[in-house]
Amino acid sequence: MNWKDSQLSFPLLVVCRLLLAVTPFIDSLDLDHNHQLSSPTNSFVRLQEGLFLFKHDIDPYSGGSFYHSPLYLSLFTTILPTSRFLSRLVWTLIDALGAWALVGIWRERQNLRSSSRDTLIAAAYLLNPYILLPNLALSTTSFENTLQLLSLLYACRGRASPALFLASILLHLSLHSVLLLPPLILLLLSSPHSHLSNPKYFTAYRNSKGSLSNTLSCIGEFLIYSVILTLCCTMVADSSGWIEKTWGVGLTLPDLTPNPGLWWYFFTEMFDHFRSFFLMVFSVHLVMYVAPICMKFQHDPLFASFALLGVLGMFKPYLTLADPGLFLSMHSIFPEIFPYLYHPLPTSLLHLHAALLLPLFHSLWLTQGTGNANFFYASTLVFGMANGAALVDAIWAGLRIAIGGKEAEDEGEIAVVQE
Amino acid sequence: MSLLSRLKRAGNEDGARVRIRRRKALAALLWKRLRFIRVTLLLVGLIWMLAIPLPMLSQGTYIDENALQPAQVNTYWDWADVHRADRYLDQVEEWVQHNISSIERADMLVTEFQKLGIPAATQLYAYTNGDKVVQGANVYAVFSSPRASGDEAMVISASWLSRAGEGDGTLNRRGVSTVLALAAFLKNYSLWAKDIIFVLSDGYMEGMHAWLSTYHGSVQSNLRADPLVLSSGVIWTALNIDYPGHSFSHIGLFLEGLNGRLPNQDLVNSCQIISRYTGGIPVLLYDQFHHSEFPNKDVLDLPFWLPEFVKRNKEFKEFSYRAKNVLRHVGYQGRGMASGVHGLFHQFRIDAITLYGEPAPGPHGFHAMGRVVESSLRTTNNLLERLHASFFFYIMTSPYTFLKIGKYLPSAVLISVSMLFGGISEWIGAGWRVKKAEGGNGKSNTATSEVKWARQPRPLLHALCIVLYTHAFGFVVFLALTGTPVLNPVIMLFLFTLCLTSPIPVLCSLTSFARRDELPAINRVLKSINLCIASTVISVTSVLNFSLAATTAVLLGIPLTLASSSPLLPVRTVMYLLYVFLAFGWMVWLPGEMQRALWSWEILGVWFAPFVCLVYAPLALQGGLACLLPM
Amino acid sequence: MMRLFTCAPTTVCLYITFCLSILAVTFATDGVNSQEAARDFFTKRIGQENGSNHTNNWAVLVCSSRYWFNYRHMANALGMYRTVKRLGIPDSNIILMLADDVACNTRNKFPGTVFSNQGRHLDLYGENIEVDYRGYEVTVENFIRVLTGRMDASVPRSKRLLTDDRSNIFVYMTGHGGNEFLKFQDNEEISAFDIADAFEQMWQKKRYNEIFLMVDTCQANTMFSKIYSPNVLATGSSELGENSYSYENDADVGVAVIDTFTHYILEFMEEINKTSQLTMQDLFNTYSFEKIKSTPGVRSDLFSRPLDRTLITDFFGGVARAELVDENASVEDSSPTINVDEPSSASAEDVPSDHTFARSHSANNITHADLRHSAMAGKESSWPGLLKQFRAWGSVAVVGGVTGWIFMSR
Repeated sequence: MNWKDSQLSFPLLVVCRLLLAVTPFIDSLDLDHNHQLSSPTNSFVRLQEGLFLFKHDIDPYSGGSFYHSPLYLSLFTTILPTSRFLSRLVWTLIDALGAWALVGIWRERQNLRSSSRDTLIAAAYLLNPYILLPNLALSTTSFENTLQLLSLLYACRGRASPALFLASILLHLSLHSVLLLPPLILLLLSSPHSHLSNPKYFTAYRNSKGSLSNTLSCIGEFLIYSVILTLCCTMVADSSGWIEKTWGVGLTLPDLTPNPGLWWYFFTEMFDHFRSFFLMVFSVHLVMYVAPICMKFQHDPLFASFALLGVLGMFKPYLTLADPGLFLSMHSIFPEIFPYLYHPLPTSLLHLHAALLLPLFHSLWLTQGTGNANFFYASTLVFGMANGAALVDAIWAGLRIAIGGKEAEDEGEIAVVQE
Repeated sequence: MSLLSRLKRAGNEDGARVRIRRRKALAALLWKRLRFIRVTLLLVGLIWMLAIPLPMLSQGTYIDENALQPAQVNTYWDWADVHRADRYLDQVEEWVQHNISSIERADMLVTEFQKLGIPAATQLYAYTNGDKVVQGANVYAVFSSPRASGDEAMVISASWLSRAGEGDGTLNRRGVSTVLALAAFLKNYSLWAKDIIFVLSDGYMEGMHAWLSTYHGSVQSNLRADPLVLSSGVIWTALNIDYPGHSFSHIGLFLEGLNGRLPNQDLVNSCQIISRYTGGIPVLLYDQFHHSEFPNKDVLDLPFWLPEFVKRNKEFKEFSYRAKNVLRHVGYQGRGMASGVHGLFHQFRIDAITLYGEPAPGPHGFHAMGRVVESSLRTTNNLLERLHASFFFYIMTSPYTFLKIGKYLPSAVLISVSMLFGGISEWIGAGWRVKKAEGGNGKSNTATSEVKWARQPRPLLHALCIVLYTHAFGFVVFLALTGTPVLNPVIMLFLFTLCLTSPIPVLCSLTSFARRDELPAINRVLKSINLCIASTVISVTSVLNFSLAATTAVLLGIPLTLASSSPLLPVRTVMYLLYVFLAFGWMVWLPGEMQRALWSWEILGVWFAPFVCLVYAPLALQGGLACLLPM
Repeated sequence: MMRLFTCAPTTVCLYITFCLSILAVTFATDGVNSQEAARDFFTKRIGQENGSNHTNNWAVLVCSSRYWFNYRHMANALGMYRTVKRLGIPDSNIILMLADDVACNTRNKFPGTVFSNQGRHLDLYGENIEVDYRGYEVTVENFIRVLTGRMDASVPRSKRLLTDDRSNIFVYMTGHGGNEFLKFQDNEEISAFDIADAFEQMWQKKRYNEIFLMVDTCQANTMFSKIYSPNVLATGSSELGENSYSYENDADVGVAVIDTFTHYILEFMEEINKTSQLTMQDLFNTYSFEKIKSTPGVRSDLFSRPLDRTLITDFFGGVARAELVDENASVEDSSPTINVDEPSSASAEDVPSDHTFARSHSANNITHADLRHSAMAGKESSWPGLLKQFRAWGSVAVVGGVTGWIFMSR
C-alpha cells in the first residue's frame, strides 16, 4: 500500500483533523473570540447568541449582534448540535467534505478517476492553517467554503441543478458569493478541463448545453431556488427583518469589529457623511472584477472562479483567514501554472511575514496594550498585499501559460536574465 | 482570430516591448548590483547599531500626557514621618537579627498595617521547580480610595530582597520600612482617586510574581499560592521601592520588564522630573554615574588599553556613557529579564518602574525618598486613562534623553532586508548552473560574457525537511535542558556532543533518498530558506523586542550571509564546527547564563530560553549545514 | 374640481395684492412721521449718553473641557461668572456651562472649592453658584441652541437665553482650541463658522443688541475671524499659531489654576464697580505680550460704537433700566417687536413640531415594542413555541426536500 493512495491517506488526514479538533488544548487557546479567525458575520459566539435568542422567542435580528442567515438558525435548532464538542466534530467533517470536493474538482479537471496528486490536494485543504484555524474557531466560513467547492464540483460534473442550488444556499450564507455565479454558469455550459494554454473564445469550448436559452434557464433556476430559500428564511425568522441583518450587513458594514480585511479600519476612520458613498464605492469595486475576469478566462471558467475567489479573499467586507485560505488551497488544482508564477518567492515571503505580523500586532494592540489599532491595520495591509501578490501571480501565470516558452528556458537557451 | 494570436500580437506591440525591455534592464541591473546592495545594507545596519548611543540621535525626554502634571505639588512628608520610618526600620532590623521565618515576619507586617487601620493580609506561595521548592509569604494591604469607587488602583511595593546583586541576598530593609511609613502617611489624605495597594513581597522576583499572577487570576501550574482575600480594582501604575543601603546619593531608574517589555515612558519621565525637582535628588539610569559628576573617578570603566587622549575626550566619554546604558538595556531586554521587581507588572499592562536608592554614605534618606514617592503618587493619581500607546517603544540613553522607535528600529530591519535579498538571490542562483562547454573549448569557459547557464531543479522539499529537522532538534535540546533536574558539566558536554553530531541523520538520509541531480543545489536552497526565515524572524521580533532582534541580527547577519560550501572537506568541517559553536556554544561557555534563562522560563515564563533553543540555534545550525553539505 | 385648481392661484394672487396694498396704505399714512420719531428717539439717547441703548445684560460663560487637569478652564469660567455677577448681572441672566465638576473631583484636595490663584485666597465655588449646563450637557449643540434660542419646549427658563433686541450679551468661551475650532469635551468641536452663523441667526431673530465675545484658548483669535454679523465686539487670547498659557498653579491643588489671559482680564475687572466709567479701550490697552505671553486680538470692525465710548459695564454690568417711552414711540417700538415675533414664532413652531414628531415617533416605537412584547408573552404558552419549532423544522424540511429532489432527480 502506498501512502500516496488517497483511499488510505484521506481518511487518515480526516482522523488527524478529528483528533486535533477534540484536543482539549484547542479550547485553552480561546480561538472563538479571535478577530482574525471569525468575523461578526460568521463567528460561533454570535451564532450561539442568535440561537439563544431564537430559542427564547426573541427575534435575533432585532438587535445588532446576530448577522447569520436564518438557515443556520433552522439547521442548528433542528438537526445540528450546538455543544462545542459535537460542533467541532461537525465542523471538521464539513472541512473534510470540502477537501473531498476539492479532490473531486481536480479529478474532473484532469478527467481522472484518481491520481497520485489527490493526497496532496486533500492535505493542502485540510492542513492549510488559514483554513484549519478558522475551523477550530468554529467560524461558519467553513460551511461557506465547503458549499463553494461543492457547487463548483457539481458544476464541473455538469449537474446544473445541484450546483445552482448549492450556489443559492451559499448566497444566503454570504452575499458576496453571488459574484461567483457567472463563472459557475460558464462552467456549467463548458468543460472544467484546463484550456489555459490554449485560449480561445468561449464558443470553442462550450458543450452541448451551451446555448443562450440554457444560460437563461440556469439563471432562472438559480432565481427559483433563491426565492424558495428566501421564503424558507422568512418562515424561520417570522419576518423579513433578516434581510437587512444578513445581506444588508455585507453592504452597509454596521459592525466594525476588526478583522484581517481592508474595510473595517477605513470605515472606522471615515467621516459619517462620506460613509455611504464609500460603501458604494467599495461594494461596486468588488463587482467590477467579475466581467473582466470572466471574459479574460472565458476559455477556463474554473480558473475564472479561482481568480474571483482570490479577489474575494482580498477585498471581502468581513474577511476571515479562511477566505484567502480557500484561494491558496485551490492553487493545488492548477499545477500547470506553477512554472509560470511571476514571483513565487516574494509572494510566499510576504505571506510568511503577514502570517507572523497579524497575530503579533493583534496582541500588541489588544493584549499587551503597547500598540494601537494602527499596528494591526498595518499588518492587515501586509496581509492584503500578500493576497494581492498571490492573486496577481496566479492571474499572470494563467495568462502567461498561453504563450509558453518555459521549456525553452529550461533547456538553457535563454541566458542569464531571469524573471 | 484566436485569443492566443491576439495575446501574441499584444506582446509585439511597441509600448509593451519597450516596457518589458526596461523592466528586464532594471532587473538585470538589480541582479548585477545585488551583492553590493546586500553588503551595503548589512554594513549600514551594523554601523547604525553602533551609532545608537550617539548624542545626535537622541532627543530630550518630555511628558506626553497632559494629565500627569509631575512635580507640581507640595509634599507634606516630613521629619515626623521619617521618624516613624526609622521606628519601622528598628523593628525590621530586630526581625532580621532574630532571624525569624518569613511567615512570622509576614504576620508581624500584617499587624503593623492593621494598627494603622488598613486592611491587610498575607499570601503564602510555593513554587516547585524540578525537585526544588521555593516558598514564601507576601503581605499586602489595600487602602481604599476615600472618595472614589475603587475600580482603579496603584501599587507601592517593596520586595524583601533588594535588586542590588540581582537578589543575591541583600535585604531591602529601608524599602520595606518606607512602604510601612508611607502607608501611615498616605492614609491621612482624602484626595486619592484610586485605591493604593501596598505590597511587601517575599524573596526577590518570585514573591511578587506569585502575588501578581494570583491577583490577575493566571496562576501557572508549578505555583501554589493562596487566593487573595482583599481585592481592589484594575492596577494602572506601580512604583517599586528599592532602598538597600544606609543612605543614598542618587535615585536609579530601572525600567525593563519580562520579555523585553517597557513601561510607558511618561511614567519614567515623571519620576525623573519629580526626583530632581521635588526630591532634589539627582537621577541615574540604572546605577550608571555620569562621568561629569565624578571627574576624578573612572565611573565609565573604560578599557585599560585605550590611549589616554581618547579616554579624556569629552565626546568619547559621553558616547561611552550612553553606550553603557544602551548595552545595559540590551542585556536586560534581549534576555527578557526584568531589571527589578517592577518588571513583573508589565505583563499585566501595568506601567511600573523601580526607584532604586543608589547606596552611598549620603546625603539622602527616608525624607527624600518619601517625598519623591508622595509626589509620584499625586502624579499617577491624576491619570484618567491609560498612558498613550505611542510611548512604549524607546531606548533611553540617559535619564534625560531617549531614542524614538524610528531612530533605532531601521538598523535591525536593514540587516534583515539584506538577508532577505541574500535569500532571494540564493534561490535564483540555486535554479541555475553553469553549463559545461560542450566542445571542450576552454576559452568560452573563461570569458564570463559567454557563460552558458542551464536550469537545475531546486530540491525545495528536501531543504524544508532539513529546516524542520533542525528546529525539531532544537526542541529536543530544549526539552532535554528543561527536563534534566541537575545540569552538571558532564551532561552539558554530552548534550553538546549530541548537537555536534546532529547532522548525521541528515547526511545519511540525503544520500539514500535524494536524487542525484537534486544534490548539487541543496545547500544553496537550504541557505536561501535559512536566510529568509532568519530575516523574517529578525524583522518581526524587532517590533516586539528590539534588543533581541538586534542581538540576533548581529550574531547571525554576517555568518549566515557568508555560509557557503566548499569543495574541500576539511574546510567544510571547520566551517561547520564554527557554526555549531555559534549555535550551541552557550552550553559550554555560559552555563550560568543558561541556568538563569531556564529558571526564568520555568518560574516567570520568559521566552528567551525557548527562543534560543527553537529559533536561534536551529538557524545557526542550518547555516552550518549549508556549509557542511557538499557542493 | 379642475376648475377650482385653476382658480386657486388667482385667488392667492388677489389676496396678496390686497394685503400689500393695505400695508402700503398704512405706511404711506404715518410711515414718515414715525420713522423720524424713532431716529430722534435713538439719536437723542446716544447723543446724551454716548452709550449703548440696551436694556438688559446677559452672559454666556462656557468652559468646554473636561478632566481634572483642565481645572484652570473651570476656574476661568467661574472667575468670569463671579465678575459678571458682582457687576450686577443676576443669575437668571447668566448661562454657565461647565463641562466638568472639579470642585467635587476626588482629586481635589479641597473638596467643594475652585480657586483661581496660588495660595487659594478666593474660592470661586463657595457661596452661591448656579451651573446651568454641566458635564455631558455641555455640547456644541446645546451651546448653539442656547444662543439661537431654538429650544425644546420643555427646557426650563434658567437654561434659556431669553434675550431680545435690547440685550447686550457677553459670551465667554474657554477650553482647548486650535485654528478656527474649540474642542468640547474631547469629542467634538465648534468651529468659527458655527459661532458666526449662530450670531447671524441671533441677529436676524433680533436676539441681541450687541455681543462681546471673549475667547481664551490656543489660537483664540481665529475663533472670531469668521463673524459677519453687526454689533459684535470680540477679543481673544492669542493669534493664529500661538498657544495660550496657564498663569500659575497651586502646589496643593496640584494643577494650573488659571490661564494667563483670563487672569489679567479678571485682575483688571477687580478694579471696576457698577458705576465705573472705564471703557473697552481701557481694557484692551492693558493687553501686552510681556504679561500674557501671547498676542491678544481685538475685532471691532463689526462694532458700531467707538471703543473708547463703550463702557465695560455695558457688557459686564447689569443694567436694570426702566424704559420710559411716550406714546408716539410706543407705536414705533411695537412694529419691530412684531417683526421679531415673526421669525421666532416660526422657529417656535418649527421646533415643537419637530419635537412632537419625535415624540410620536418614539411612541410608535413603544407601541410597536409593546405589541411585540405582548406577542412574545403570548408565545410563552405552548402552541406558538411549537409553531417556532415547526417553522424551523419546516424550513429544514423544505431545504432538505429540495436538496433531495435535486440530487435524486438524475
